[in-house]
Amino acid sequence: MNFKNFLSSSFLIKSVFIGSLVILIFISSVSYKHTLVITDLAELVTHSYEVRIELEQLNSRLTDAESAKQGYMLSKDSIFFKAFNNAHAKVNKSFFKLNQLAANNLRQQNNLDSLYGLINFRFENLSDSFKETPDTSHQAITLKKNLRDGKKLMDKIHIQIQNMINLEIIYLHERQKKYENEISFTPIFTFLVFLFSLIVFVFSYFKINENLFILKKANKQLIITTESFKQAEEIANISSWYWDLELNLLVYSDNLYRLLGCEPQSFKPSIKKFLEFVHPSDIHLIIQGDEEVVNDNKPPTAIFRVIRKDGELRYFKSIGKVLIDKNGKKTLIGINSDVTEQYLSNVSLEERNQELERTNKELASFNHVASHDLQEPLRKIQTFISRIAEKEVLNMSETGKDYFSRIHTAVDRMRILINDLLLFSSTNKIEKIFEPTDFNVLLENVQQELAQAIEDKNAVIEAGNLPTLNVIPFQIQQLFTNLIGNSLKYSKPNVVPVVKIRSELIIAKDYPILKMDTTKKYYKISFTDNGLGFEQEYAENIFILFRRLHHVKEYPGTGIGLSICKKIVENHAGFIEAEGNLGIGSTFTVFFPA
Amino acid sequence: MQNERIHILLAEDDEDDRLFFSDAFEEIKIKTIIKMVNDGVELMNYLSQPDIVLPNILFLDLNMPRKTGIDCLKEIKEIDRFKDMAIAIYSTSSSEEDIEETFVKGANVYIKKPSDFSALKKILSEVITINFQYQTSGLNRDNFILNL
Repeated sequence: MNFKNFLSSSFLIKSVFIGSLVILIFISSVSYKHTLVITDLAELVTHSYEVRIELEQLNSRLTDAESAKQGYMLSKDSIFFKAFNNAHAKVNKSFFKLNQLAANNLRQQNNLDSLYGLINFRFENLSDSFKETPDTSHQAITLKKNLRDGKKLMDKIHIQIQNMINLEIIYLHERQKKYENEISFTPIFTFLVFLFSLIVFVFSYFKINENLFILKKANKQLIITTESFKQAEEIANISSWYWDLELNLLVYSDNLYRLLGCEPQSFKPSIKKFLEFVHPSDIHLIIQGDEEVVNDNKPPTAIFRVIRKDGELRYFKSIGKVLIDKNGKKTLIGINSDVTEQYLSNVSLEERNQELERTNKELASFNHVASHDLQEPLRKIQTFISRIAEKEVLNMSETGKDYFSRIHTAVDRMRILINDLLLFSSTNKIEKIFEPTDFNVLLENVQQELAQAIEDKNAVIEAGNLPTLNVIPFQIQQLFTNLIGNSLKYSKPNVVPVVKIRSELIIAKDYPILKMDTTKKYYKISFTDNGLGFEQEYAENIFILFRRLHHVKEYPGTGIGLSICKKIVENHAGFIEAEGNLGIGSTFTVFFPA
Repeated sequence: MQNERIHILLAEDDEDDRLFFSDAFEEIKIKTIIKMVNDGVELMNYLSQPDIVLPNILFLDLNMPRKTGIDCLKEIKEIDRFKDMAIAIYSTSSSEEDIEETFVKGANVYIKKPSDFSALKKILSEVITINFQYQTSGLNRDNFILNL
């Protein structure tokens, strides 16, 4: 998982968290409201019970008062009067309580009001009956009427109370039903909260676990990277540093200390401290580099000498880069590497290179001497020979004439040798101008050049279609001339010489001679003849300068032609190989990079 | 024209070559007056004399001590008095560089010293019969080198 994914996952977590929170709060508030409703309903139920109880109490107290009055009337005992008063007080108390309880119920309030009227009226009657003396007959009639009225009123009161109780029972039923209804939702709400919380918890757990795993992995990777970087620094003799120009804070990697021959982080990095290690003659390089960085933002690159703590002289290469942030704050980061080995080997390589160049020049001038300056006396010898041959040869003895003709032959051969040598050395010297060249055209030129020899031998040149390549045209023409010329020269007597030229595109790894195990493409051009051929064991030798397989008398030549071929092919980054079959023919194959 | 002798000047440091040169002209049936100088310095000294008859053709060897043929060629071409004098380079070298340089510097013809006396006679007689007045107008790289 990469950093971007990690970021997006933390965003996901945030949104899931906020979503869960919102849902949880929503469910909780719904649940809270639900609980409130239930509590209210429970209170109402209780309230109904209370009202009922209170009404029944009221009923029984009224009965108490009634029986107290009756007791008093029968016995005239003051204890009944006390009991009546007591019951009256209790009835009042009940009323007060009922009044409170019915405060929110208009219907019961109204019922209570009429009940109050009835009870009040009844108590007035009752209280009056205590004052009267019930011993007259008239009074007995009144008493009877009073008792009747009292009974009627009492019945009314009882009915009213019973009505109220009934109403309260209806209320209770309604409320209980509602309560039961509501409370049946409670487990669902509880379960919902639980379930949702569980989901959130499980999701959080897995997400946290996953992130933790990723973090652990990233951390491990970071540790490995840091460690391997440290190792790489040590192995490669490189070190890194950064320099905060704003804060003038310089930090070195451990290996920089090691490269300076010190213990890691054994001193506080500073330019001054670093310069103490730099070779006095090279300090200006560092200072100059730093100035260029600060003034021109030019990254420092320098090779300088360092004297290590143990006194050893080392060569350092420093490469830096200027980082400028959007506030224009500059930080320099850089790599210091110990390039002593490379530097020294470079120096020795350069020295050897110069030596090689010198040797090459000497060789070239030797070639020049060998070919040009040798020609002078040779030409004179030849001219003198021609003069003697013209004027003096008649005066010679037969032996003298024979010797003289041998001198002539030897000198002519020397002339050919020198000319070929000159040609060979010039193959390297002349400016190499590569241009796209059609080999078919070159072959035509060669056939024209060799027209006489082809005609003399009745030779057949059979060529397939040849490629167009980027080459030095006259050199390739020379190559073709030499190869075809050889085939004509070493042809079998009385057999029509046939030279077959074939070209194909090949892949390097299929041909061991190319010494490449790659799929690089080459053009393979082969020249096959039906000439004398040669034994395969000489296949390599024939390309060596002055190497010949035949006597000069049989086949005149210098042994330079194929050396020139080899050199030309090498000039084109190509290869040449020969394959001989004595008495059957030979094949010369050249490879050019496609 | 037939009776008028051709003035020839040879700048050549090699004694043998001077011998071949004079021998060859002796055998060629053309009337010539030959003057020889031994090197470049001598050549320039000779040419700077005001009372001499300027040669029709100067044969100039390239490889000479002190002042080389190329140096002489350069100096001569800078002096207007010598503008009618034909210059034939007469050298052992047949290197491309030498041919190119002398051609560019204004030589009229390039002769590679032959290694056969009869060839020498032939080439020399050919050179002195070229009418360089016409030749210069059609000067080109192809007929610069004189081949037999």
